Amino acid sequence: MKQQPPHTVETIAPMPRLRAVSENAAQWLRGAGDAGRLTGVVGALVLVIAVTVALAAIKTALVDVPPIVITYLIPVLIAAIRWGFVPALTATIGGAACAAFFFYKPVHTFYVEDPARRMGLLIFALVAIVAAHLAGRMRRESEIVRKREKEISDLYAFSRRLAGGHSTADIFDAIQKHLSTVVGRKVALFEPSGPANRPAPIGESDVPRDIRDAVSAVVAGKADAAAGMTVTDDQGDIWLVHAVSSKTPDLGVVAIDLGSQTPESEKEIRARIEAILHDAAVTIEQIGLAHAITEVRMRAESDRFRDALIGSVSHELRTPLASILGAATVLCDAPAIAAEARLAALANVVREESERLNNEIQNLLDATRISGEALQPKLEWAELSDVVNAAVEHRPNRFIAHSIEVDLPPELPLIHVDAVLIEKALGQILANSAKYSPPGSTIRIRGWRDDRVVAIAVSDEGAGLSAEDSTHLGERFFRGRRHINTTPGSGLGFWIANAFIAANGGAIDAASAGEGKGTTVTIRLPIPANVDQLESIASD
Amino acid sequence: MTEASPNVLVVDDEVQIRRFLRSGFELDGYSVSEAESGRDAIRAATLRPTDLIILDLALPDVDGSQVLERIRSWSNVPIIILSVRSSEMEKVRLFEMGADDYVTKPFGMAELLARSKVVLRRKARATTGDSVIRIGRLKIDLAARNVFVGDERLTLTPKEYRLLQILAQYPGNVVTHQELLKEIWGLPHINDTHYLRIVVRKLRQKIESDPNHPTILLTELGVGYRLAPPNEPGDSSAH
Repeated sequence: MKQQPPHTVETIAPMPRLRAVSENAAQWLRGAGDAGRLTGVVGALVLVIAVTVALAAIKTALVDVPPIVITYLIPVLIAAIRWGFVPALTATIGGAACAAFFFYKPVHTFYVEDPARRMGLLIFALVAIVAAHLAGRMRRESEIVRKREKEISDLYAFSRRLAGGHSTADIFDAIQKHLSTVVGRKVALFEPSGPANRPAPIGESDVPRDIRDAVSAVVAGKADAAAGMTVTDDQGDIWLVHAVSSKTPDLGVVAIDLGSQTPESEKEIRARIEAILHDAAVTIEQIGLAHAITEVRMRAESDRFRDALIGSVSHELRTPLASILGAATVLCDAPAIAAEARLAALANVVREESERLNNEIQNLLDATRISGEALQPKLEWAELSDVVNAAVEHRPNRFIAHSIEVDLPPELPLIHVDAVLIEKALGQILANSAKYSPPGSTIRIRGWRDDRVVAIAVSDEGAGLSAEDSTHLGERFFRGRRHINTTPGSGLGFWIANAFIAANGGAIDAASAGEGKGTTVTIRLPIPANVDQLESIASD
Repeated sequence: MTEASPNVLVVDDEVQIRRFLRSGFELDGYSVSEAESGRDAIRAATLRPTDLIILDLALPDVDGSQVLERIRSWSNVPIIILSVRSSEMEKVRLFEMGADDYVTKPFGMAELLARSKVVLRRKARATTGDSVIRIGRLKIDLAARNVFVGDERLTLTPKEYRLLQILAQYPGNVVTHQELLKEIWGLPHINDTHYLRIVVRKLRQKIESDPNHPTILLTELGVGYRLAPPNEPGDSSAH
């Protein structure tokens, strides 16, 4: 079934001819299947004839035949057990008739001379009818038991298939097989993925047009998906059209050929179909849920693994780096090296590059802190100018070629933040500004109060942002296409800045007039409601 | 250097780190001894006269902070902590345990030398008992409780003066927010950092030439405050 085209699946229920007679009692009881009843009657008559022939043979061989009428109970009971009441009745009448016609005087007439034998025949008829009735009832009951048993085993098989189903296709296959077994007729299943207005038809000719229209109505939500609907096709067969899930037609719609049904039997079969569909819908929902859960868990696990790896690698890298950087700085300042310009330049290369490597490692460590949710801001009252000064002061040596202008009004309120995180965020923004603008250009830091917000803007005269850059700027590891081959970097800077600002309840955005026209990154931090009050308290 | 070849004890289990620290200090005129474990460090500090200890936190036998604690129990030798961890909480803890400075690995030799010089000078002053401290144009006379900028005597509120006084006891040393709050406002206000911020802002307006870019009363973000290193003795850069 998995190989079937994705849109629809359809089966015509297998209709085993042999079992139709012997097992399909439901049909017999409902009076359906004339062929079955005829077989019973004919069988009963054949049995009666066989008994008659046997009795005649015994009579020729022996002088007298003892209990003729009692012998005729044999076909009656067989017929009752085997085929039920009507054939048993046939056997009773046939048996009595044969006894009167062939064995009781006057022979070859249906008249019975002997009053005792007449009485015997009457008693025979009575006993036979009662026995037939009892046997019939027994048969009926055992039929019901057998039917129940089959239903249960079908249901068990169905639920096992549902539980074992790993995909929606498996579930649909199971629904369809089970419904076919229960209804014994045609079941068509319309899968959800098809376009709503045109639920994919299955073997064009198999489902009548009316039915397909009804399916469309259910899929489109015009008909109540939960209630389902019955449609009679042009051949007088009743079809039940019902959504798999009573909540939504999205899980698919079934169309089931119920044949011709009385209102009661239709009601019963509908109840069973609805129960089956309910189980199936629950299972499908669980599978979807389980898939989603597994996916989330796997992604979280791989993130955790990656972060642990980056974390431990970074720490391992830092130890030798501390020696390299330290040694390089000793070399740079050593008189012997300083006297030799070419060597001094090399020593400076080692120093600067190890500083850069250290910054990249720091970025990776910060990134793992962010995605490891280990970021717990330690909020305290802070002076914005302190934070800005620290960020400017801590900027790496290689950005010293840019001039930085700071413009903070003295009356800015205190901010309630993790000052170290804000400083790091600002540091990332400054580093980006310096990286993407020419040496000697100016980077401006401006602060102002805007109602309940303190804003800090960092503007450069650099490469600016393309439309594409702006959309992807906040993504981890994003690097602008223009710089990817010319300017080294990991693409973590802005992402880290963004996470650090967000952890402090602030927001960050980047704006640019276009490529080559500079970038302005603005950080906005909320001002706590009680700040003005605090300032007046402490100013005694 | 005012003293002839101060002795520095370098404590780090990484031989490469010790090697460059030795070269860096020796080139700057120090004489260097080394220790590679906490136990060695304590023994070395007791055996030899030591002017400065450079102490790495990650030691193979005991934690560096325990070494700091042990040495502080009998000596006030300047100690500069080295650590790969850059955690403000840890800095605060170590400063309160008596560390003189804290340098995060990796670092440049020049930075470490500059900080070493500051802590050594501080120790020198503590032994002379000079009560006048000059930082740039600022003059603090702890004995007379007077503060001048240039020739102008400042009028400070009691809290402003107290703040300056605490910082001036160890100029160049970081004093944590909690210590300052406890000293000035008392234990109940130990977390009211805004008190401190507002007094600092007012004080800077009086002593700094550009309060937005302070050069005297400096902020250690997330840790505390310190005064800039005092002027060299004999340096009369008051104007």
